[in-house]
Amino acid sequence: MSAKKSIFTAPAGRSTVLALIVLLIVGAVLVNTFAEFVWIGIYTYFCVTLMMVLGLQMFMGNSGILNWTYLGFVGIGAYASSILSTAPQLKSMGVPNMYPALVQLQMPVLPALIVGGLVAAAIAAIIAWPLMRLSDAVGVITLFATLIVIHVVMTQWDNVTNGPRTFFGVQAFTSIWVAAAAASLTLFAAHLFRESSLGLRLRASRDDRHAAMAVGVSVVAVRYFTFVLSSFVGGVGGGLWAHYITSFSPTSFYVVETFVLLTMLVIGGAGSISGATFGAVAITVMREGLRQLEGYLNNSGVINFEVYGLTEVMVAVLLITILIWRPDGIIGGREFTLSRFRRKRSPNQDPEAETA
Amino acid sequence: MINGEFIINTLSLGSLYALLALGLVFVYGILKLVNFAYGEYLMVAGYAMYVFGTFAQLPWYVTMVLAVLIAALTSYLTELVAFRPVRSKSLNAMLVTSFAVSVLLQNAAVLFVSPRSRAVPLPPAFNQSVTLLGVTSPLRNLLTIATAVVLLTALTLLMKYTVLGIAMRAAADKFTTTRLMGVPANLVISVAFIISGFLAGVVSIFWVGRSASVEPLIGFAPLLIAFIATVIGGMHSLLGAVVGGFVYGLLFNVLSIMLPASMINYRDAFMFVIVILFLLIRPEGLIRGGYTEERVG
Amino acid sequence: MLAIRELQASYGAIRALHGISLEVKEGELVALLGTNGAGKSTTLKSICGVLKPTGGSVEFLGEDISGKKPETILKRGISLVPEGREIFTSLTVAENLRLGAFSSYERGRYQQDLEEMFSLFPILKERFAQPGGLLSGGEQQQLAIARALMSHPKLLMLDEPSLGLSPTMVDLIFDLIVKLRERDTTILLVEQNAERALKIADRVYVLNTGTMEFSGTPQQLESELDIEAVYFGGADDSSCEVTL
Repeated sequence: MSAKKSIFTAPAGRSTVLALIVLLIVGAVLVNTFAEFVWIGIYTYFCVTLMMVLGLQMFMGNSGILNWTYLGFVGIGAYASSILSTAPQLKSMGVPNMYPALVQLQMPVLPALIVGGLVAAAIAAIIAWPLMRLSDAVGVITLFATLIVIHVVMTQWDNVTNGPRTFFGVQAFTSIWVAAAAASLTLFAAHLFRESSLGLRLRASRDDRHAAMAVGVSVVAVRYFTFVLSSFVGGVGGGLWAHYITSFSPTSFYVVETFVLLTMLVIGGAGSISGATFGAVAITVMREGLRQLEGYLNNSGVINFEVYGLTEVMVAVLLITILIWRPDGIIGGREFTLSRFRRKRSPNQDPEAETA
Repeated sequence: MINGEFIINTLSLGSLYALLALGLVFVYGILKLVNFAYGEYLMVAGYAMYVFGTFAQLPWYVTMVLAVLIAALTSYLTELVAFRPVRSKSLNAMLVTSFAVSVLLQNAAVLFVSPRSRAVPLPPAFNQSVTLLGVTSPLRNLLTIATAVVLLTALTLLMKYTVLGIAMRAAADKFTTTRLMGVPANLVISVAFIISGFLAGVVSIFWVGRSASVEPLIGFAPLLIAFIATVIGGMHSLLGAVVGGFVYGLLFNVLSIMLPASMINYRDAFMFVIVILFLLIRPEGLIRGGYTEERVG
Repeated sequence: MLAIRELQASYGAIRALHGISLEVKEGELVALLGTNGAGKSTTLKSICGVLKPTGGSVEFLGEDISGKKPETILKRGISLVPEGREIFTSLTVAENLRLGAFSSYERGRYQQDLEEMFSLFPILKERFAQPGGLLSGGEQQQLAIARALMSHPKLLMLDEPSLGLSPTMVDLIFDLIVKLRERDTTILLVEQNAERALKIADRVYVLNTGTMEFSGTPQQLESELDIEAVYFGGADDSSCEVTL
């Protein structure tokens, strides 16, 4: 378990991840060339969402811990990148109480994004160590409480975030190409991480904490570093999202979004990257479809009461169904490979049957 | 500022929080599940009061009883339909399920009633001020304290002197061994959920009583309170939940007085930070229980 | 009474039992021996429903009970004294016993049952109102056995009752088991303490990493097998090889 693996020997799932990247980029090309403007937006949004899901997957899928705090760091990254890159005039207009030092600060978007991710990672680095020591129920509640604390700070700190009001004027930077590139990079990074020494140690700690400790894995340390890394990815993802949507408020980084990302991961399979990707695709498609349906029903007068919340209800029902039927997700905890698909057809001896 | 009113106020708030925490721990103790849908049982009771109070013109005490029963029933049904099939899988699966049930119920309220809040008719006596021993307080507060005393006594008697109570305590201690005694797993779990929903329903009466309205997200704040109160008090005992509730209520009121006006909006954040810091020093909470961490299989 | 055929059981991907068969007839005291990790506890757990077998069958009094729930199997008449006692530490001795009688409670009979337990285990009368967690290891073992007996089982299964107990306590426990045997209780005893178990058993099975290595009477076992060699890998230097 503690053997170091060179990243140049192709581990499990490498071809799958590369295939996904190719598909992603080809998809971007097709959508950009042939599709209407609204679809380009949806595809861009999907790529950014995928990046955020993968950041979550890096920690959650490999550690087995539900990370309720994640959206908080996405938000921190979003705000940081926006504050750093938006022109001073816009800032003093949009956020009247902002600290003068922050108003004056400006840098191009790309470095702002990275710095945004670093800010998120830094805050994660400060608060995460004790959190990683708490186990089970206390850990769940504390992580959830941390999300709330971050949210409260975001909603109250007028001088930085404009409080509960919208922060607008963010530079539009995230084109379909930027988003696709970011998502591709993240796909590969998540894969590298999963098969890296740190990733393997984390997965060992997930599968059997005591056995992992017995072979010298420091469970808390491994979780901690992964948490910080995951927060960095989330922070950059948040920044990209901010530069796509150009105006946002703290409500975008709270419980509903946590539910959406969590659902994507769980439905696809938190343990694998192909699972996370599948989940992201499935839920994005489903939500878009249902949102159109909601809008149609509300506007066309087919039924005479307003239909809100239908999307969330359906997604929740789907999640519960998957949890009952396939709790490891549709793809599951191991990367989807063609060879696995082929193996299902020929009844061979189960390779997992080890005698003690 | 520590006068009679403050005491009554804190006792009343603490009672409410204690009942909330208790409802959460009943399920947690046996299943080791932090039930994210718990707040929604309160919401369902609130909407029941809205529907029956507005459309059915029933006397208020009937409405309240119905609301509590509906909350208990909802809790029982969520266990039967969503939690039971997932029970044998991982604890994480149950956690995510509870989250999904919570979202489902919240948005069902949005879908079938309205995303906006609705007024709930209340008996006028509820908010009238009453003077007792020189202290003036809304009747509601005194009723809260009285209700808590009655319920806590009843539950204590149940848990200590009935076989069902013994079985439930045993199940929270060692679930599988309890089954080896012939105690049906489904029975203790269902009862735990019913009690949990019942308590949420009772709290709902007083919670809605403060604002005289109900809205889909009304269960969120109580859920958080239950979360925090249980971890303060210790998740391993019913006594811990009660103690945690009172301590949290006290903390809330103290902070409300002590925080400067500019920081008052940060009160929630302050409370959580204090609690998180407390947990880092003493993760098992104030009251150590005798229970071991055994997961349900 | 109890018949296990080709039983297979796994913990996840790890196969613990590879198809074992054993029998317990009414009134017998059958011992199931083996080293650590041989699968003895797994066998008991598969019988009483804590573990679901992946193959084979468990028949009790003519009924197939494999895969049934623990609470159902108790009602059929099989009671397990678990490994490590598993006393409810926050419950009193009285409450532990009351719970043992959960499915077979009869008001008139209960006090009588308690008196019977007090005569077998006098220490329990002394500690009746004390929480189980305050009892010593030996006292907890007695409580665990008494608790299992409260349900008037047709078959009593004991999982390593002498584990972790002082020699005096071990004597007491084994005397108790013999006493129960004399009252015609059918017993399936799992033990690492092979020597003592062999002295009191009618028949014995030996399990070795999930397969049944031996079945027969204690006399047969002692003539065929160097027990110490099985357990300690050679009693003297000359016997380096163990053949079973």
